[in-house]
Amino acid sequence: MSAPGFSPSSLAADSTWHNVLSRRLIFVSGKGGVGKTLVSRAIARALPGKILWVCFEDPARPPQEQRRVKSDPSGTLDELNCESARCFQEYIGMKIGVPALAKIFLQSKLIQYLAQAAPGIRELVLLGKVWFERERFDHIVCDMPSTGHGLAMFQSMGNFSALFGGGPLARDAESMITTFSDPRQTGHLIVSLPEEMPLVESLELRDTLATIFPGNEPRFLVNRLIPGELATQLATSVGHPDDWPTPVAESLEDYLRKRWVLERENVQIWERQGIRFGSLPFFPPPADGAAPDATLLDAATRFIASLVTAGRGGAS
Amino acid sequence: MNYSRPDGIDALISKHKILVLCGTGGVGKTTISAAIALRAALLGKRAVVVTIDPAKRLATSLGMEQLGDEPFDLTPRLPPGSGSMHALMPDTRLTFEQLIRDLGFDEAGAERVRRNVIFKIFAKEFSGTNEYMAMQKLHSLNQDSRFDFIVLDTPPSRNTLDFLRAPELLSRFYDDKIFSWIVTPANKLLGGRLFAGGMEKVMDLFEKLTGSGFMSQLLEFARSLLEVRLTFTANLKQVIAMLQAPTTGFLLVSPPAPSGSDEIGHFIRSVRERDFRFLGHLVNRSLSHLQSDRSAIDGLEPGLAVLKALQSRERLAGAQVSQAIRQEPIRVFPELARDIHSLEDLIHVALALDDGPVSSTPRSHPTSLQHE
Repeated sequence: MSAPGFSPSSLAADSTWHNVLSRRLIFVSGKGGVGKTLVSRAIARALPGKILWVCFEDPARPPQEQRRVKSDPSGTLDELNCESARCFQEYIGMKIGVPALAKIFLQSKLIQYLAQAAPGIRELVLLGKVWFERERFDHIVCDMPSTGHGLAMFQSMGNFSALFGGGPLARDAESMITTFSDPRQTGHLIVSLPEEMPLVESLELRDTLATIFPGNEPRFLVNRLIPGELATQLATSVGHPDDWPTPVAESLEDYLRKRWVLERENVQIWERQGIRFGSLPFFPPPADGAAPDATLLDAATRFIASLVTAGRGGAS
Repeated sequence: MNYSRPDGIDALISKHKILVLCGTGGVGKTTISAAIALRAALLGKRAVVVTIDPAKRLATSLGMEQLGDEPFDLTPRLPPGSGSMHALMPDTRLTFEQLIRDLGFDEAGAERVRRNVIFKIFAKEFSGTNEYMAMQKLHSLNQDSRFDFIVLDTPPSRNTLDFLRAPELLSRFYDDKIFSWIVTPANKLLGGRLFAGGMEKVMDLFEKLTGSGFMSQLLEFARSLLEVRLTFTANLKQVIAMLQAPTTGFLLVSPPAPSGSDEIGHFIRSVRERDFRFLGHLVNRSLSHLQSDRSAIDGLEPGLAVLKALQSRERLAGAQVSQAIRQEPIRVFPELARDIHSLEDLIHVALALDDGPVSSTPRSHPTSLQHE
């Protein structure tokens, strides 16, 4: 069952984008404000089995605390906000093995400083945490930081393996790249919006991810498409966005028509280039202001769950 | 309700030399930053806007293909009677080169720094570097007589003051006595060993973990920085003093959504902890100004329901934020029907920033943008 008022058939959409949802590790990337958190949380809630949702250094959540947020017959969902200093401690403890020695090591002021400041280590241990946890869950869904910081995290692995051979950190970094480049184990999903800038930046992000994880092409999900289908005659009368004299809308209806035309223009640029993408409708937040996050999340979860079910019933 | 009313944009422009805009991604911070600089120029200022957003968004808002390390002059495209307007996206590598020169390395030292692998990662890919370089750039622009007003657009981040992390870490590097002890060559000479017993074990372990070469490269990196520590520390102090100056202020750009009040509270605390000035928040991408004219939208009824729900949510979110910080927003900017893709578009936004007159007004004055 799809969300009310939304017709996925209105776009030449990628009906297979949700194949990434069958992978054990799912990285949700994209620029800031596109809805990565909502999409990744909805995916985590929609998937059956033992699931972990991960975000990185979110100041609004308690650091490194794994919290059970769902437990029902379909499975369990834990949420974790990875924090680099704690991830570093865990990693060192694991690698050194001897607790007393690890303690001395971690108490060193220099080591504490390096864990925070040495380029790449902070990013590397955050991803390392995800990589080490992967055997313990059916799926791990990662809410990646926005484009620049997210890429710095992914690039940290390559830096270490290429520049500093021999140590466990570099070896683990290589294994991480292998795992994250393997389409049988890992899926990369780029969330975008039907706006010019996010769409352009998504393609740049895809190209960069392709160089970091060769052979594991990311899938696209365009979020927040205005639901509905404007009557052709009205759409024609609105004209082309380049011909609108100002970027200002005059009324609610004027904005809605223009916004719809603009979105269609934007996604058609992708379609002409043969770029395939899935889409999520703009879910209306509750007007009464009651727990907006939960209601939006429920709507997105139901939508993604329907795709997961359909995907599992399909031929592939 | 009696919440305090902050200064409007024009008053902020006249009272400040530097405005730093922070906010999470996707709120249109780059557009607002450029528009504030543009408005300052229309008011007669010699303005420059700096964006460190790696996604090169400002370039597109200004209809420019590429920004360079040198400020790009947009003044010829401004209405007559304006001041001047420049835009700049610092090139991390070039700014880094400039920093090496400013720090006073000799030729051999500069070459060693350029070759160092840690420096290369640091300069190219470390996520804090863009932010750090922006501070450097801001510092040099602050001393540039061509400009009397600077807007800094910080990179999007969950933690809105993340851009200060890099300079703070580097300053800790110098405060940490243990580190300067380690990298001082004299210690190596005394007894012929680099580290004392316990420390040596720790360093051994670290080298084993990180692999061959990391530690020696890191020490070289540290020694190079130590060589120029006096210049560096002085430089950093100037940057902090610049940010703490009464003519520098911090603004938050936030979306018209419920997450706003937590984010703003966190931001105000972080700014004040550092003795910086919080000037207020701007709400962007607001739909509240849009009134229904009951014109035809055949087929888009579900879309209209979404917009109306967003408008209701915005009213509630706005009330929550004002209550939480006991302050009204400086300005509420409307969501636009299409992207900004020219300087003319940006002028529309700049004119909507405040109600006061500016030196020159294009014919199509967007009255519907005026704030109530």
